Amino acid sequence: MRERRLGPLRSTCYNGAAMLPGALLACCASSWSAAPQEWRDRRLVVMVDERSFESWPGLVELEREFEARYPGLDVRLTDMGGAVGQQDKPRFMLTGDLQLDVARIDVTEFGAFLAEGALVDLEPYFARDASWDATQYLAVIDGMRDARGHLYGLTSTFSPYVMYYNRDLLRAHGLDAPRPDWTWDDLLAACRATTVDLDGDGRIDQFGISLTQWLQAVTPWIWQNGGDLLDERGERSRLAEPEAVAALTFVRGLLHEERVASFDASFDNQLSQGLFQAGRAAFYGPVGYWETYRFKYIEDFEWDVAPLPRGQRAATSLAMTAYVVPRTSREPELAYEFVRALAGERFQRLLARIGNGVPGRISAARSVDFLKPDVAPASEHVFLDVLPQARFMPPLANWRKIEDLCSSELQSILLLEQCDVAAACGRMAARTDEYLARERVRAARPRLPEGTLALALSLSMLGALGLFVARRGPRPGRIARAEERSAYAMLVPWALGFCAFFFGPALATLVVSLCEWSPLRELGDARWLGVDNYARLATDPTFQRSLAATASYAAASVPLGLLLALALALLLRDEGALATGARTLVYVPAIVSPVIVAAVWRFLLDPDRGLLNDALFRCGLPTPAWTRDPDWVVPSFVLMSLWSVGGQMLVFVAALKAADRDLEDAARIDGAGWWRRLWHVTLPQLSPVILFNAMIGLLNAFQIFAQPYIVTQGGPGDASRFLVLYLYESGFRHLDMGYASAIAWVLFALLAALGFTLWRCSARWVHQSARRAA
Amino acid sequence: MSARVLRWVALVVCASLFALPLVYMLSVSLHREGTGLGGSLADLAHDAHPENYGVALEKMGDFPRLLANTVVVTVLSIAGQLLTCSLAGYAFARIEFRGRDALFVAVLATMMLPEQVSAIPRFLVFRSLGMVDTFAPLVLPAVLGGAPFFIFLFRQYFLTLPAELTEAARIDGCGHLRIWWSIALPLARPMLVTVGIFTFLAAWNDFWSPLVYLFSPERSTLSLALASFNRTYDTAVEHMMAASAVVLAPCLIVYFVAQKLFLRGVQVAASKH
Repeated sequence: MRERRLGPLRSTCYNGAAMLPGALLACCASSWSAAPQEWRDRRLVVMVDERSFESWPGLVELEREFEARYPGLDVRLTDMGGAVGQQDKPRFMLTGDLQLDVARIDVTEFGAFLAEGALVDLEPYFARDASWDATQYLAVIDGMRDARGHLYGLTSTFSPYVMYYNRDLLRAHGLDAPRPDWTWDDLLAACRATTVDLDGDGRIDQFGISLTQWLQAVTPWIWQNGGDLLDERGERSRLAEPEAVAALTFVRGLLHEERVASFDASFDNQLSQGLFQAGRAAFYGPVGYWETYRFKYIEDFEWDVAPLPRGQRAATSLAMTAYVVPRTSREPELAYEFVRALAGERFQRLLARIGNGVPGRISAARSVDFLKPDVAPASEHVFLDVLPQARFMPPLANWRKIEDLCSSELQSILLLEQCDVAAACGRMAARTDEYLARERVRAARPRLPEGTLALALSLSMLGALGLFVARRGPRPGRIARAEERSAYAMLVPWALGFCAFFFGPALATLVVSLCEWSPLRELGDARWLGVDNYARLATDPTFQRSLAATASYAAASVPLGLLLALALALLLRDEGALATGARTLVYVPAIVSPVIVAAVWRFLLDPDRGLLNDALFRCGLPTPAWTRDPDWVVPSFVLMSLWSVGGQMLVFVAALKAADRDLEDAARIDGAGWWRRLWHVTLPQLSPVILFNAMIGLLNAFQIFAQPYIVTQGGPGDASRFLVLYLYESGFRHLDMGYASAIAWVLFALLAALGFTLWRCSARWVHQSARRAA
Repeated sequence: MSARVLRWVALVVCASLFALPLVYMLSVSLHREGTGLGGSLADLAHDAHPENYGVALEKMGDFPRLLANTVVVTVLSIAGQLLTCSLAGYAFARIEFRGRDALFVAVLATMMLPEQVSAIPRFLVFRSLGMVDTFAPLVLPAVLGGAPFFIFLFRQYFLTLPAELTEAARIDGCGHLRIWWSIALPLARPMLVTVGIFTFLAAWNDFWSPLVYLFSPERSTLSLALASFNRTYDTAVEHMMAASAVVLAPCLIVYFVAQKLFLRGVQVAASKH
């Protein structure tokens, strides 16, 4: 597919000749007169969360202006509320056909929204609007055009990827700031010179470069080396070609052969203070403008930005977000006007001051608000200078899926000590090609006949009910029937909820698992696939890795959790004040929300500055990279789960209290040692509770979601892409709800089978008298 | 003697290891903005920044509103959960009827169903009922349906009540509903508190349902506001940890207040399998 290179508009932009007086631009009020007079009871729903607290007052100001201009109109600003990089909420609103008039989306999602018909074509509105002048914007707005050249949105902010450098550190090693045309060799030389073990303890603590590793950040190296991600038509991956392989080999070499690079700068690490911020990396990148926001806290050294070093040629990638009008807008005219205001002079200047990204409006991007002469970095203009070499990711409908297909292999290329780069690139390309080929035949599939879903649902429900009535046994006597009626009456609330929220939706999921359906489309537009989704699961390496990760997590966390809980319970079973207090402290982590658990442990496990590695290092123990090492990421989550083991511990303590102490005492008098008493007397009495805890532990382990969702997003590679996370990503990021539903049913079947097996096997070891009591 | 000392040491070590992450959270939340992970407890002695909490509250939005919303959702969930689950648990435990085992297996099977499995169809159900952007989707699954685990707990509990207790009432002509309300429920106090606390924690900490169903800021909940601290650009770790501590505090308070009864409920659940 055509890369959206920055077109001829750029030259005019850069001359700045096309700029109009700012005051004139600010008043982009509707220039057509068809606007109705009556605005009462009308709403405009705006979700343009800039992921910045500081932009909110500016939005409120726009809201007030709009409400003053259209008396009676209610402008509702709503918060996206999501986590890092996720834009699920607008999708839910589209799926739910809820009114959403203005949204802010990432340019990498534009292809998907466009293909699903989820956006309003703004071209007619621009055509009617005399005040519209495309030359007021940098050419990056071309990223929001479809194949016909129609414009669907306006840029909020964008950023090309550049290189940050620590000027003082370079100076201290006798090096100059990078020239605008510096090369890979210059970078390598500078990195070699600045990589040092400062305190001579054998651990390198100052690196040449802190490298970024996500696809958009790695792609520039490939482009610079003359390679590309996809061919011209977007049908074939070019990642297996020598240029791409050589580029990745170079980046990998910085880490594993030259050992001048650190990987502390993953996306999930941006909240913590990185190596660069700590003054212990000479370079940081490739990365975008948004980092200047974090780096404003740096007081200890002088830093600046430079274009990326050149390979065979100069190139960089481009990130952008834009304001669009979704198909569920009820007020497209007003929405268009609001988009114009958001992309107008005043709000763009506000965004420039905040420093999320480079404003798309030329006058704002060239204003002091953006260039900030007295605030670091000194060279903000670099972000504008590199635009001629900057490109977007391919605007494919399924780009997110392809990105995910690639990033797991990409991470293993970069992170693993041993890796055959060419073979890994080959795998990456093959998977992409296979996926693209399958997507091409998607539209040719038959629609699911109208009403199939409703019919299937009602038939299954009736069937289940019929089966229940037919199989429940012979008709009892009159009194028993009266009893029965009161029992059914008491079960009504449960049964209603069961059908409406569990059984019904689960059945619907089963039907969807036989279809291809994007949550951005109407449910009626589902395409019939048969068992294709399940067949794909069987051959999907990501699914296999996801299954393996989940299984190994469960296999470690469930037994270890039981052991730890039991050991703690034996230690803390006393009634004394000390034991009671300790019990409370051990239990408290179990009531902490998973969101908080994930946030706290992310910092505790930070490989470079986390508390845990600090302690390990002081004890002379090895310091694993935890969530950033494919081999250690599952143990990291096991560790997190062990912290929340308090609930199981309480159950064990309670069971120990209820256990027959006489038996233990009798055994002691008979001369049985501590271990024999535990094994032959205490544990058999606990066996039903052990079964109970094992069952609950198993269910929880297989459903782990919030922690990896927040901490690793499935990485590194696929090492922590647990089943529910993969399910979620397939459904909401890759917009492949059928596939997600298939995963859901496999997971459900797996859990049911495991639970049943565990229960059946328990007959052997769960103590009989205790079992009878149940 | 040495065994006792050893045990004492083990106790203290365990307790402090488990408390450490939370102490760490508090410590980070009090450091100067921009310190990141670099700060130490020692710095706090002369350079503490309790104003982080004020800033964090302010950034969360309309805090009293968020708190009120969360409380409403939580209270309604608890009430619904307790009534529905104890009703169903009673029927499963104390009444003989055809198909009881099959239905109970259905209850247990729901435990195997991850939330995300039925998320989209469930969303479509609520949309067709016109309930999106209300508290109904957060509360209704608790009021109707109920969590299978709690039904299981109530059933286990009611199984332990002596048969004579209900039989006498039956002979006096009491209906099951009456027995449930005036005999079984009052006896089940520890279990009510236990399930109540579990429900409280689940509703208070729920992030997924508010994310999916609530769109208006005036209906947002605390955990949703907390999650928006995970934003890419301008999140200060210190504020995030302060907000986390604020959201966590009510859980701790409720737990400490109800601890005694809660532990008795757990005791019953654990000893009467």
